[in-house]
Amino acid sequence: MFFWGARRITRVVEAYVGEYASGKSEVAVNRALEMVAWDEPVTLVDLDLVEPCYTLRPIKKELQALGVDVIAWETGDSIGWGETGNILKAEAKWALRRPGNIVFDVGYGVDGAKSLNLVEGLAGEPSFKVIIVINISRPMTAGVDDIVALVKGLDKVDGLINNTHLGDETTPEVVQEGARVVTSAARKLGLPVIATTAVKEIAAQLGSYDAEGNLVRPLKRYMPRSFW
Amino acid sequence: MAEKVIAGEKRVFMTGNEVVAWAALAAGAEIMYGYPITPQNEIMHYWTRLAPKYNRKFLQTEDELSAGFTTVGGVMAGKRAFTATAGPGNTLMQEPISMAEAMRLPFVAMIIQRGGPSTGTVIYSQQEVMMTVLGGNGEGLRIVYSTANHQELFDYSIKAFDTAWKYRFPTFVLADGYQGKMREPLTIYDPDDRGIKISDTEPYVGRPGTPGVDRPPGHYRNTYNVEEELYEVLQDHIKDFESIADEVSEYESMASDDAELLVVAHGVVARAAKQATEALRQQGLKVGYFRPITLRPLPSTPLREAVNRAGRMLVVESAYGQLGRLLKEALYGATAEFIPYYKPGVGFTPEEIMARCRELIT
Repeated sequence: MFFWGARRITRVVEAYVGEYASGKSEVAVNRALEMVAWDEPVTLVDLDLVEPCYTLRPIKKELQALGVDVIAWETGDSIGWGETGNILKAEAKWALRRPGNIVFDVGYGVDGAKSLNLVEGLAGEPSFKVIIVINISRPMTAGVDDIVALVKGLDKVDGLINNTHLGDETTPEVVQEGARVVTSAARKLGLPVIATTAVKEIAAQLGSYDAEGNLVRPLKRYMPRSFW
Repeated sequence: MAEKVIAGEKRVFMTGNEVVAWAALAAGAEIMYGYPITPQNEIMHYWTRLAPKYNRKFLQTEDELSAGFTTVGGVMAGKRAFTATAGPGNTLMQEPISMAEAMRLPFVAMIIQRGGPSTGTVIYSQQEVMMTVLGGNGEGLRIVYSTANHQELFDYSIKAFDTAWKYRFPTFVLADGYQGKMREPLTIYDPDDRGIKISDTEPYVGRPGTPGVDRPPGHYRNTYNVEEELYEVLQDHIKDFESIADEVSEYESMASDDAELLVVAHGVVARAAKQATEALRQQGLKVGYFRPITLRPLPSTPLREAVNRAGRMLVVESAYGQLGRLLKEALYGATAEFIPYYKPGVGFTPEEIMARCRELIT
């Protein structure tokens, strides 16, 4: 059961997974910041072992100042980004030992989901949910069948998020079309659509729910500052 | 091709590397040869994900030297073949590219520049200009498109296949890790639907008939006995290259007619230069913008005209004067003041370029 925007009682452990450049990190960052308001410890874990771009490293301090404990490498701590892959931080491996809520930002496409196997205790964590972030403007996840195939390729999925956008060209219609396709895929899969996410200007135009009845969750953009 | 890769025009949101893979598919590329190197890896990743759906092929070789030579082999077999690389991979590939240059092969390579020298940084620079334009032990008989955004990455990746097979010179799309990794919207399309014709391919070897009887022998050489033999062949190649320069060269310019300072940049830096120029014009400053799209051959005539009109040029690049050197050669004898703004391996913001222009013009 998910409680978006509301305080909940049990611990939340969520992993955000999706096609490369689907908006996983932005959704994960916003989710972690939402949890700060719950007045409980929040840890955001960068689980990208490949990609040197669009990861949490450049915005780590900014997020920490906002109350999120971020497990991510810093520039001076490591070498060889994009060349050798990243070594998993020991803190990431043991993230579940931390109190409070945990959000995993699982980088580098759906193949990146394999890195969840490196986190100690995740398989036995009763609160653990895997959430797939979908942008149907990405050609690899443009249609219902594409999304169904993507989800079926993963071991565990608990819900979908419609994060359809076209960057600065996003309109409410683009997001609504995403909602239609993602909701249709979710029905086929027997999974819930947890939310439709959109930048706040678009979210305001959509209202509280999209045309499919999915909760609309406004996003504040952080990731453009994390390019490199 | 049996199945259309892209049905109708679609507005999509992609990373640059992904754009290149889709463009190659849309252009009917039949096989990619490659070896992984950041920041071009996702070209291979997306190609290998998509290729089986459309009956295309991929060969991962043991290094870039081999990726280059297998591309040469694919082309000689008449396949619309390509490769992609970056940095030290581009360095290794210069030998097979030289061979392609010697044999006039339509070798297509996507270069996603990273920092150097050597393995440098994995993401960004414009430091592979000289190597891509003039690398190898030849005369730089190559065509190089430098793209600035994802739409151009798509358009010119398609165009590269046509250019290479039309003129039979190695043809490059020169981008960089910023373009490869960043994401923005673009329109993808099937070139046929827009009436874009891509030159047919044909095998160089294994053609029907008896050589010397039914057809001229296919004698493709990269080795000659004596200097005069090589000289004679090169004269023809150089003449061909010079004869197509005006037809092939492309550029973009803005506000250059009455400019007192011309900002010259290429690739992703040109985006910042263009934005800076637009903003400065709005503030009433007479700044112009010139961007060579082809770095080889350079659009020398329009460049000279624009530079001579302005009298001063600010050359902005993420390298220590690689574009600068090409411009100086093209502008030899011009009297315009040449002002460098070089940051090897580091990007530019429009604000930085605006600030430098203001210092120079006010």
